[in-house]
Formats: sequence, C-alpha cells, structure tokens
Amino acid sequence: MAAVQTDQVTLTINGQSVTVPKGTLILDAAKKIGIDIPIFCSHPKMAPVAVCRMCLVEVEKLPKLQPACAVYVADGMVVKTTTEQVGKYQKDVLGFLLINHPLDCPICDKGGECPLQDQTYQYGPGASRFDFPKAHFDKSVPLSDKILLDRERCILCWRCTRFSEEISGERELALIQRGTNTIIGTFNDEPAQSNYQGNWTEICPVGALTSRQYRFISRPWDLDRTASICPACSMGCNIQIDARSNRIGRFQSRENVAVDDSWLCDRGRFSFPNFQRQGQERPRVRRNGSLEEVSYEEAIAFTADALKHAGGQVAGWASPADTNEELFLFSRLFREVLKSAHLDHRSGVVADAEPDDIALPIADIERCDQVVVLGGQGVIDAAPVLHLRLFKSERKGVKILKVGVTEGKRALDAIPAEAQAIGILATEADKQAAVDLQAKLAKKVKGSVRRLIVTTGPNGRGAKDLGILPHQGPGYASLNGRAGRGRLQWPGAGVKGLYVHESSPLHGFVPSDAESMWLSTLPLVVFHRFKASPLDEVAHVILPGHAFTEKYGTVTNMEGRVQRIRRGIDAEWVREDWRVLQQVANALGASWAYESVEEITGDLVRELPPYAAVNQEARVLWSEST
Amino acid sequence: MALKEVLLGPLYIARALATTFKHNTKPIVTIEYPERQKAVPPRERGKHILHRYADGLEKCVGCELCAIACPVGCIVVEAAENTPEHRVSPGERYAKRYEINLLRCIYCGFCEEACPYDAITMGPRYDLADDHPDKFIAVKEDLLEPLSASISDTAIPSGAPSAQPVARKW
Ligand code: SF4
Ligand code: SF4
Ligand code: SF4
Ligand code: SF4
Ligand code: FES
Repeated sequence: MAAVQTDQVTLTINGQSVTVPKGTLILDAAKKIGIDIPIFCSHPKMAPVAVCRMCLVEVEKLPKLQPACAVYVADGMVVKTTTEQVGKYQKDVLGFLLINHPLDCPICDKGGECPLQDQTYQYGPGASRFDFPKAHFDKSVPLSDKILLDRERCILCWRCTRFSEEISGERELALIQRGTNTIIGTFNDEPAQSNYQGNWTEICPVGALTSRQYRFISRPWDLDRTASICPACSMGCNIQIDARSNRIGRFQSRENVAVDDSWLCDRGRFSFPNFQRQGQERPRVRRNGSLEEVSYEEAIAFTADALKHAGGQVAGWASPADTNEELFLFSRLFREVLKSAHLDHRSGVVADAEPDDIALPIADIERCDQVVVLGGQGVIDAAPVLHLRLFKSERKGVKILKVGVTEGKRALDAIPAEAQAIGILATEADKQAAVDLQAKLAKKVKGSVRRLIVTTGPNGRGAKDLGILPHQGPGYASLNGRAGRGRLQWPGAGVKGLYVHESSPLHGFVPSDAESMWLSTLPLVVFHRFKASPLDEVAHVILPGHAFTEKYGTVTNMEGRVQRIRRGIDAEWVREDWRVLQQVANALGASWAYESVEEITGDLVRELPPYAAVNQEARVLWSEST
Repeated sequence: MALKEVLLGPLYIARALATTFKHNTKPIVTIEYPERQKAVPPRERGKHILHRYADGLEKCVGCELCAIACPVGCIVVEAAENTPEHRVSPGERYAKRYEINLLRCIYCGFCEEACPYDAITMGPRYDLADDHPDKFIAVKEDLLEPLSASISDTAIPSGAPSAQPVARKW
C-alpha cells in the first residue's frame, strides 16, 4: 500500500463504499473490504508495473478497463469488478497467458499452490484454447545450484526481475529478447550468485522458478506447516517449517514486517538439511572406554553422579541456538545447583556483553537518516536479510555508509552534525568499535544515535540476557567478584568436567586445537545434543536431545525481540531437553517441578520481568524495567 | 395319531424328493469358484492397475492427484526425478513410491477419474482376500502392468472363462 498522505477518500467498489487513504491502489482498497481481484504481476512489496493485465476492472467514466494494481483511488470513484465485460477480459487475458504456457501442472512443483492454476479454474477457460504448437524452451534450466528455471512456464510477470532490482538490488535476473522469445535469464547465462534466490520461488506466480532442494518432494496438501523462527542467524526471520511425513521439506517465509519484511536469505532457507534426523538414538554412557547404550534414567543418574564428583569445577557451554527456557534451566543448574560460574555460550570472539537496551530496532533502520554499517559486507554476511532492509531504506533516501571496522573516523567525518537519527550496525565481534563510534557521534550530532549489534546464533542475544556468561548473571547482574572463567580460559583453569548442550549443528561446540587436547584429558564430558559431532568421541555421556525444529520455546533475536519456535517435527522418543536438565538438577538435590515449557517461561518472566515481552513477541527493553 | 404319521411317512418323503427332482432339471446358476470365474462387467471397479506406454515407460508421473482425489486417503505417492540413466516415465517426474491400501479403498474410482495421464484405472480383479492386513498394501510392483504383457493377459486371473480387456471410459 503506497499511502502518500493521510487524506481519506471514499469510493464505491461493487456497490460497497470504502474509505481509504489517498494514494491507495484500487486493488488494496478492494482487499480491505474483502473483494478479491485476481493478480499476477502485482506484489505488495514492489512498485506496480501492470504488465499482466489480469487485474482489469471497470471504473465508471473511464472508457476502458483499468488495471486495479496500478490505478490509485479517487474520491467518488465507482469501481466494478464482476461485470460481464470484466469477466470476459479476465478469461481472455488468461487465454493469452496460456498460449505458450504448457499447463504441465502434474509434473510441476507449484501444482496445488499455483496462482495461475487456481485463477485459470476460477476466472479462465480452464484449459488452453490455443491449438497450434506452443513455444518451447528447455525444461528446468539450472539458474544456480539452488534454483531451476522452466522458461515455458514463465508468464513474464517481471516479479523476479523486479525483486532483483527493487528488493535485493543485485540486478541479476533480466528479461532477454522480445515477444514470444522473451525469456528470463542471468547475464551470459552465468550461475546466479544472489543470496536471496529462494525468494524468487515464493514470488513467482507459476512454477517457472522452483527450488532444487524441494524438487518433487511434496504437494502442498501433504505438508504439515509449523510457524517457527529461522535457525541460521540472529536476525530471527519468521519461517514456516513445511514437513511431509515427519521430514522437513522446506522452509518458507512468514511475513513479520518488523523483522524480515517477508523475505528469507538462502543461508537460512536452505539450512534445513542440517536438522533432518537420522534414525533413532538412545543415551550412551562410556564404560571401560566404550560407549554403551543405556536408558535416560541411567544416563541421567550417571551424569548427576559424575557432576557431583567434579564439584564446583564443572564448566557449562550452551549453544546460542538453545531456547531461552533451556538456557534459563541451564543457568540455574550451574549457578544454583552446581555452584559453578564457568558458563559460556560463545565460540571464538569473546565480546564484552552488556544490555543493548537502546538498540536500534531492525525496522527503524528505514527511519534513520544515516546508517553506518561498521564492517561492511561482514555485517551483511552475519545476518543476510539485513541487506534487504538496508537496500529498502536506501531506496527511501536513507544514507547507508559501509565502512571497515577500523574506518570509524570516515563515518564520523561523513555524517553531518544536523543528522536527526543515526544507526550503527556491527557484529558482536566489533561491538567495541561500534560503542566508541556511537559515543563520538553522540557528541557530534544533535539527533539520536542508536546501534544494532548482530549477535551470533538465533538466540545469542537470549544467552546473554539469561546470563550464560562467566562474568554476568541473568539480566546482566553483576557477580561481585564471584565471576567464573570463560570458554577460552577453561583449558588452564582446573576445570574437572564439561557439560555441553546444543540443538543445532549450525551453532554447535566446535573445539579449537587447544581445546581438543584439553578435552581428551578431561575426566568428564557430558554431551547433550541433537546431532552427532566429533565431540562424541571424547564424551563420557551422550544425551540425545531435540533439534531446533523439534521443540517449543522462545528465542531472542539481535534486536531483543522474543519469538516462539515450535515443533515442526516429532521425535517423541527423545526426551525434551528441559526435562533432562530438570532431572539432572533434581538428581543433584534440587526440587524443580516443571511440567511444561510454558511453566518455565512463566518462571523466567518472573525472574526477568523485561521478558514479559514474550507475550507480545515484542522486544526486551532492559532500560524500561529499571 | 402316531400310527397315522408312520403310515403317511413315505408320502412326505416322496413329496420332498419331488421338489429335489424338479430343481435337478432346471439350469445351473452357480459356478465352481475359483476354478471357473464369471466375466465381470467391462466397467467393473476392482483392483487398480498402473499402466505403461507401449515402449514400457510408466504412464504415472507421480503427480499425486489420485491421492488428493481419493475420499478415504488410501493412496500414498512419492515422486522423484527421472535421469538419463534411470528413466521410469517420459518427462521429468515419476512415482518412486506408489501404494494403495486396498482394505481402506472403497473402490469408488475417483483416482482413475483424477488421473491426468490415464495412468491408473480400476481393473477387473476382485479376488483380493488374504490372511493379514499388511498384505493389503498394494505397492507399485503389485499394481504395475508387467513389462512384456498386454493388459488383458495380466489383469484377469487365469482360468476365467471370458477374459475381456478392461473397458476404458475414454
Ligand atoms: S519466472 Fe516467474 S516471477 Fe519471473 S517473470 Fe516468469 S513468471 Fe514471473
Ligand atoms: S537473515 Fe538470518 S534469520 Fe533471516 S533467513 Fe537469513 S539466516 Fe535466517
Ligand atoms: S477407488 Fe476410490 S477409494 Fe479406492 S483408491 Fe481410488 S479414489 Fe481411493
Ligand atoms: S496415477 Fe495418475 S493421478 Fe496418480 S500420481 Fe500417477 S499420474 Fe498422478
Ligand atoms: S496484477 Fe495488475 S496488471 Fe498484473
């Protein structure tokens, strides 16, 4: 909806009167009162081009039919969408679209969720009326290692090329040739490089652009759809897990205008094979050098016993892809039960953590005048969908400054003193540089200066908020000199045991060389995880747990938004991770009695009131609570 | 009383036997199943058949339209991609897995109607009794026409008196 002013206009559509802001398209006004106008080329996130002519409607006093997707409303307009003439045009437009379309729906991956298929039945002739040979192109041409293009099916709606131009700005796809020979392609037929190609498959209104990973995997009616969050980075893009027969078929986007603006990057979208489960697995315990299968009860008893022996000298590493609920219990297990402060969730860089309470919300990037991307492409690589937001902002007139981490001075000089709102984006590793630049900018300019730190993992921010850190407790509470050691110091700190919890192979515990040496000498390694990893070889206890896609819980993204992840895949023979943590704690003398994830969330919110944000999927704001 | 009945006994027997002999002369309507079998109507909806083209390629492309049309949901189809080395059907896609649960099937023929390639039709076979529920899951091999034989050779059990090709509705 392209609202330019707040003035309201009233028009009549099919006899119903509707009031919308000036600058609204007829299409959107109709949608507001539930009138469906068929479309192909129009897309809510892209400027109208009106190339497909599917949306033609009658507007009184205008001699010809008008495209509803490109004509703005006017006061007193009378629009009709169901007249005989409109019906005839819709049928004819579809007839033209079907001239060269093969209608090979039975072998097409879009079949069942294809706008062309649906609208041909609803508004069109039902089949192609064209009796002559159709234009033929090669079937399924690979555009890259991720996407296949079937040029026969393409109806030239330009959505993919406009995405490439207006949304990602990479201008990779273009229309080539003229007339019936027009095709979509990349320059010189080179493989597409974009990191946002998966979106093409979602916006293409036919089966011309399809995903290679999902090829012939399923029909839409076979899919169990679960709303969840992307496991690949801290952006927290909303996804839908589409699973067939309990195996993930694909990740689809789910619009959240505050976070992903309905897009996903390929890293996230195509990351799901990491979460496919390979067969059943039972807990194992190392006895006389080899791992033996045991029951959960036995493994938990063994773990509790061994942890007790190690005393306060055990270290705990929880992955930044764990849920807040698991991290909450993990932190309590260590701090309250084991009385150890050697907690960490970080891997390499040990960035100083402090609440990013004045963090710039992702959506506010669009409302800044200047945005400094400190670290340039490195920041984009850490959270790829940020690029789409930055590009959208740039098109709206926001100045984007991409500078190297050490080039803060350049940004400082380039930003004028009268700037109103400034944003700084940086990765966790460069947080110090971002904080410094923020301080300097705050002195120089009149307006607000806010930063957005890209954390690691889908819940890296939650891990900090919940105190999976050696030097800060939950809610960034100071430990008053009782701080523990961080991961990098563990090998020399007299640690006698290690408990590793992870549920995503993308953010697992990958030992460095030094750590590998140390791990093999440790008397106790408890590995509570989803997928086998080299750590299995040194583990004394292996506790199978659920994958990121197999459990309920909440995760906090880089801007502090608490969002829910849900169980897309059932693995009920695996005991829930929170239950295992509770049983370990209880075997060590605690008396926790959680029956569900919700009860843990409730306790978490009681302990850390800012997390009440979970109920609105809103942002956690530490400063507002104090 | 009793004596009278004893005397009339032979008469009763004769009367009963008369009925027997009367029917002995009428035409026989039963046949010796399963040695002999009746011809089924040409549009009989018995056990399904998955057809092949003359060149042996399967007609089914694994589109799953039969599966969604089936009112009881007893068809499972999983598709896969043809490769030059492993070509099962013409075009890009074939059914890697095709299963019908014949116990759940109500033999309505919707699957046949939904199929865009006439790949599945209802055959004439009705002798489907077996001794375990698992044996009623007809997998692709059970349903597919054998490579070298014509439809009429395979669809009707041997010994049937009048084997007719399956009548097709198109
Ligand atoms: S490939 Fe799809 S999105 Fe692109 S122009 Fe063709 S139909 Fe439209
Ligand atoms: S930007 Fe991050 S959260 Fe979003 S789709 Fe990509 S990997 Fe997933
Ligand atoms: S005959 Fe009817 S019930 Fe049986 S498989 Fe076909 S559609 Fe399903
Ligand atoms: S039998 Fe026909 S309808 Fe069923 S999957 Fe095969 S081609 Fe499709
Ligand atoms: S949707 Fe309006 S012309 Fe294509």
